[in-house]
Amino acid sequence: MTTSSERLAALAALVEGEGVTRVTPPLLLPAGPYFDLAGEEFGRRLLLTTGGDGTEFCLRPDFTLPIVTDYLKSEAAGKPAAFGYLGPIFRQRRTGVIEFDQAGLELLAQPDADVALDRVFGFARQTLEIFNVRHAVVRLGGVGLFEALLAGLDMPDVWRPRIRNRFGHAEALERLLTRLATQANGKAETPDRATLIEQVTEQMLAAGLSLTEGRGPEEIADRYLEQQALDAALVPGATLELLRSYLAITGEAEEALAAIEALAEHAGIDLSARLGTLRRHLNAFGPAAPVTFDAAFSPRLDYYTGVVFEMTGQGGHVLASGGQYDRLLERLGATSRIAASGCAVWVDRLEREALA
Amino acid sequence: MSSITLAVPSKGRLEEVTRETFARAGLTITRPGGARSYLGALEGVDGVTVRFYPAGEIARELIRGAIDIGVTGIDLIHETAEHGPESVVIAKPLGFGNADVVVAVPDPWIDVTQMHDLSDVASDFRARHGRWLRIATKYVNVTRRHFAAHGIAEYRIVESLGATEAAPAAGVADIIVDITSSGSTLAANQLRILEDGVILKSEAALIVSKTADWDAQRLALVGQVLTRLGAEGALAQI
Repeated sequence: MTTSSERLAALAALVEGEGVTRVTPPLLLPAGPYFDLAGEEFGRRLLLTTGGDGTEFCLRPDFTLPIVTDYLKSEAAGKPAAFGYLGPIFRQRRTGVIEFDQAGLELLAQPDADVALDRVFGFARQTLEIFNVRHAVVRLGGVGLFEALLAGLDMPDVWRPRIRNRFGHAEALERLLTRLATQANGKAETPDRATLIEQVTEQMLAAGLSLTEGRGPEEIADRYLEQQALDAALVPGATLELLRSYLAITGEAEEALAAIEALAEHAGIDLSARLGTLRRHLNAFGPAAPVTFDAAFSPRLDYYTGVVFEMTGQGGHVLASGGQYDRLLERLGATSRIAASGCAVWVDRLEREALA
Repeated sequence: MSSITLAVPSKGRLEEVTRETFARAGLTITRPGGARSYLGALEGVDGVTVRFYPAGEIARELIRGAIDIGVTGIDLIHETAEHGPESVVIAKPLGFGNADVVVAVPDPWIDVTQMHDLSDVASDFRARHGRWLRIATKYVNVTRRHFAAHGIAEYRIVESLGATEAAPAAGVADIIVDITSSGSTLAANQLRILEDGVILKSEAALIVSKTADWDAQRLALVGQVLTRLGAEGALAQI
């Protein structure tokens, strides 16, 4: 049995292990980038404070954003890098403490995404071992898998981004699928584009709205016409049924992937590359590990791309979470796609598991 | 001897409505020190201390449990804290100050009639305009919860403490979340409420704190007040 300080020391050694640079971003960070990246939903979790000139700052709510931002500004931008971190973060919670210790790993621009992800899984597992967590449940999700399925499904293209946008939000997605299922063939008379633009322009001027700042008459008219087209663009019932079946697949990972394979085969969609990748990662976990695959599981952040995961302890709390987020660096200003993967672990929850 | 604190709005029509409601139940709220005093009494039930507070503070203190029972707007309960609604019991709506907190868009946005349209517009707003969709509101928490429930994350809130309905024309925001009783102010500003854009229906209400430190004696006291007001049903939910 280890002591609390031994566990913490072991974790500190892990985040500055071989080939990993430990970094410690400032505690006080500008709040703007967090709102820009993750929107108001994450924004409400921030502990905000205002500078004398009105600039908004927040107490560090996560490590990934400042680490990646600094990396992009550095000489090393675009070159393979591995960063580790350990320290307090601050988030508004409904109840109780708002200061937590978090540790984690960020792997950037790695030449082989699969190898990088296995390294991330390894990091998470080693962390759990440090805290004597033996029966953590691993929950995997496939963002890339869902995107590949969506691309192959038979439906009017206009609906694909709308469905993708709701992936990971069960209720919003369900509402959309229900709406699509009850969609009527709209055949209302629509005026031509030029007339519409003219009408909208007049209305906007009457309302005192700027025609150039924000949504302009063309955008509104075009989307209006697109809506009319959407109402006419029915998604086949078989596609909706397939989507629903897919999203409902959850359970022991091997079985879940087999079910997805059968579903895809039936629909004539080739998911073999994605499924193969997932199976390779599963093998790395070993046969004994309780790994579940949940087809509908995805973080509500659009920069996640490939495989995502969560590890949950006996207490039902998420102890480690992460995955691949190849779109993150572009969102933060990189001019080309830079592969990224990593995970964060919740030190306080791990410590509670160790004591339990 | 135990006592409970009843918070009454410190001014305006809401104070009068509160007095009238209690008076109809044979309970007189007195304010011995006049309009400048913050302490009063309730004639008819012993052990009730009356305090006069602004409505916003009443909502906050009910949620924290520093006040046992009080009159304030339901919208303020929802806005003041995320866990506001579950921290209190709405004992008796007063039929005053009825208004809806709504999502409204510029009327010329003919393509946006429902929340799911807004979801579409928000999702590619940044790609089109180089900034997030902006929502002007004083209801920051209510807005965040409502948009999260609809799966919309791609927006920024612009806090607005007055004349929110003018924000789109002023170029400060694209759409608004605001409170309206008749919708006429919105219409006058060429704003249109979405078909499913009513976030919550608000009115002034007598509200009991669930988080206050309740014991049997204090529950009996609040029970007396509620019974007199015909709201004894709320007692079981505290």
